[in-house]
Amino acid sequence: MTYIPSADDLEVITREVWTSFLDGDPAGLIATSGDMPADKITGCVHLSGAYTGSIMLQCSPPAARDAAAALFSIAPGAVTQTEVVDALGEIANMVGGNVKSMLPGPSALSLPSVVQGQLSLPGTRMVREVQLSWRAEPLFVSLWQQAS
Amino acid sequence: MRILIVDDSRAMRMIVARTLRMAGYDEHELVEAVDGLHALEVVAQAPPDVVLCDWNMPQMSGLELLTALRSAGWRIPFGFVTSEASPQMRTAALEAGAMFLVAKPFTPEDFQDVLDPVLA
Repeated sequence: MTYIPSADDLEVITREVWTSFLDGDPAGLIATSGDMPADKITGCVHLSGAYTGSIMLQCSPPAARDAAAALFSIAPGAVTQTEVVDALGEIANMVGGNVKSMLPGPSALSLPSVVQGQLSLPGTRMVREVQLSWRAEPLFVSLWQQAS
Repeated sequence: MRILIVDDSRAMRMIVARTLRMAGYDEHELVEAVDGLHALEVVAQAPPDVVLCDWNMPQMSGLELLTALRSAGWRIPFGFVTSEASPQMRTAALEAGAMFLVAKPFTPEDFQDVLDPVLA
């Protein structure tokens, strides 16, 4: 039986990334449920091999801007779109790489992709999701698996 | 001492540099490369004393860079800084000639543990 990381695992990994590089306050990320705006920012990495699927991180534009500001140590108002793409891609890469370490291997991890809006993953289904909020803005992390 | 940071993410290069300063390496010269090919150019121009390299990058991956350096005769201490830190990855890194692998997210202490023996 293949172990699939739980929603709690996704939350622990996301919290570790957040407290290490984005927000030293462990209480900064709050488990919650809510709506994700249509103009959300989506960062994603794909796995292929023993496990084929994706790890997706979605957040509102204000959360993406604040995350980039935290990573680059600049004021939120100074953040450029390029920096948002770099930051969300790197966060997705860190979360994805750590999730990959819990999945059966060997698998290859793709370079991250970042889009505004919904990213369609044909032929896959979401198997885990954790819904969080950061600074009152939504942040969702999900694990997807290729349908067998 | 000269430390080469190789990562395609500018955010991560900044975080690595910031963490190195927090770890007490602020007196060392920090230089950057955006991928493996760029790193080869930097090494050829002015060889660093240690390389801190991402694993997964466009153009040339960290593993390909390490292989290219060793094939060219460079014996510069080389370590990976990567989000993928499974036992298989660590084994692959060490077998290719890396001295260490630091997992993202990391702390200043993580860098001290692997760099103090190299830079002492």
